[in-house]
Amino acid sequence: MNSSAVKIFKDNMWTNNPVFIQVLGICSTLAVTNNLTNTLIMSLGLIFVTAFSNFTLSTLKSLIPDKVRMIIQTLVIAFYVIIVDIILRAYLPEISKSLGPYVGLIITNCIIMGRAEAFARSNPPMISFWDGITSGIGYMWVLMVIAAIRELAGFGTIFGFTVMPEAFTKWTIMVMPPSAFFLLGALVWVSKSLILKKEKNNGA
Amino acid sequence: MNKNNFFFTVIFTFAASFFFVFFLSLADSLTAEKTAANTKMSFYAAFLKSAGIDYEDKYETEKLFQKNFPAVAERVQDDTGEFAKTIKTTVNGEELVLKLFSGSGLWGTITGVIAVTPDLKTIKGLEIISHNETPGLGGRIDEQWFKEQFAGEAIASDDAAVKVRKGSGGSDNDPSNSEVEGITGASLTSASIQTIVNNVISGLAKEGI
Repeated sequence: MNSSAVKIFKDNMWTNNPVFIQVLGICSTLAVTNNLTNTLIMSLGLIFVTAFSNFTLSTLKSLIPDKVRMIIQTLVIAFYVIIVDIILRAYLPEISKSLGPYVGLIITNCIIMGRAEAFARSNPPMISFWDGITSGIGYMWVLMVIAAIRELAGFGTIFGFTVMPEAFTKWTIMVMPPSAFFLLGALVWVSKSLILKKEKNNGA
Repeated sequence: MNKNNFFFTVIFTFAASFFFVFFLSLADSLTAEKTAANTKMSFYAAFLKSAGIDYEDKYETEKLFQKNFPAVAERVQDDTGEFAKTIKTTVNGEELVLKLFSGSGLWGTITGVIAVTPDLKTIKGLEIISHNETPGLGGRIDEQWFKEQFAGEAIASDDAAVKVRKGSGGSDNDPSNSEVEGITGASLTSASIQTIVNNVISGLAKEGI
């Protein structure tokens, strides 16, 4: 149990990372990463939703009829996303305002459905919960790296605090969606070559 | 019982939907009061900020609003919809006209407050209350640097009262040119703001304040 928890952690963080290996959740990766604060809140929302929907679906798995499996998954995921939305609106109105429609769009993040189908369906609740948390963190760290580069170059700030000197020329391209493509592509390249190098060394 | 049985499938789907939706509506009604209070506070805050009144705590916005706009304060007690009025007031010895506006942005309605001088020559401030623009692009209309550009901006006498230029990554610091810098990568939202602001101003001119 313990060793499998460690393996799940490693897989989700690196060797089978949801963003740069499974290439899931790309839409939100492109959309929210020009600002660290939004990225952080979005990722926390995703961690919460993935963990709890995995847990719930894994608990119910022996009851869910095969024919309506997907519908039930969507229902559970939507349930948790709307809960996040309601909580944000009531207790963190400023953040809810700045994220706008993107809270609702957590529903469409393929990582959640992907984990529900690939993991929670065939594993016990607690380990599914853990898988949800680590998948979410795997998504979060990649997004935070991209967001840090984009916010720093595009606005000269980190979490909204100015860190670059006054004379710094802002890279306008970094604020716009294409820059996320470049950065994500570069990140996939770097991580893939590191993983392949390790595999090759292990094989030799 | 076989879980793939037709009747079980129907009953399970029904029960699951009922259960989850029930808890959602429960959560919604439990937080309804708090959410409504937040909405109201964001209205108060927008009116105060566009008139240039500073406040430290968002919980004092209601008191400040009643103090500064006593004529309308009574009507807005229970319904935020009542805000849709033109408010004439005097702030720090200066006469101001405040107008709650809404207009269509790229994805949805943009609501906000604009403060102008009664002679319709200068904008005093602009605040956005709600919008559905793309986060990180059009959604940046709610950022301080964008809204600040409107403060003190002269209103041109021709068709376009204020022009929102194509964004170049900076902001426009010249209050006399009746132009503000748009948002890079969000031309359509910037154009919507131009249309909305101009409509509000020409509307005020027609009303004859």
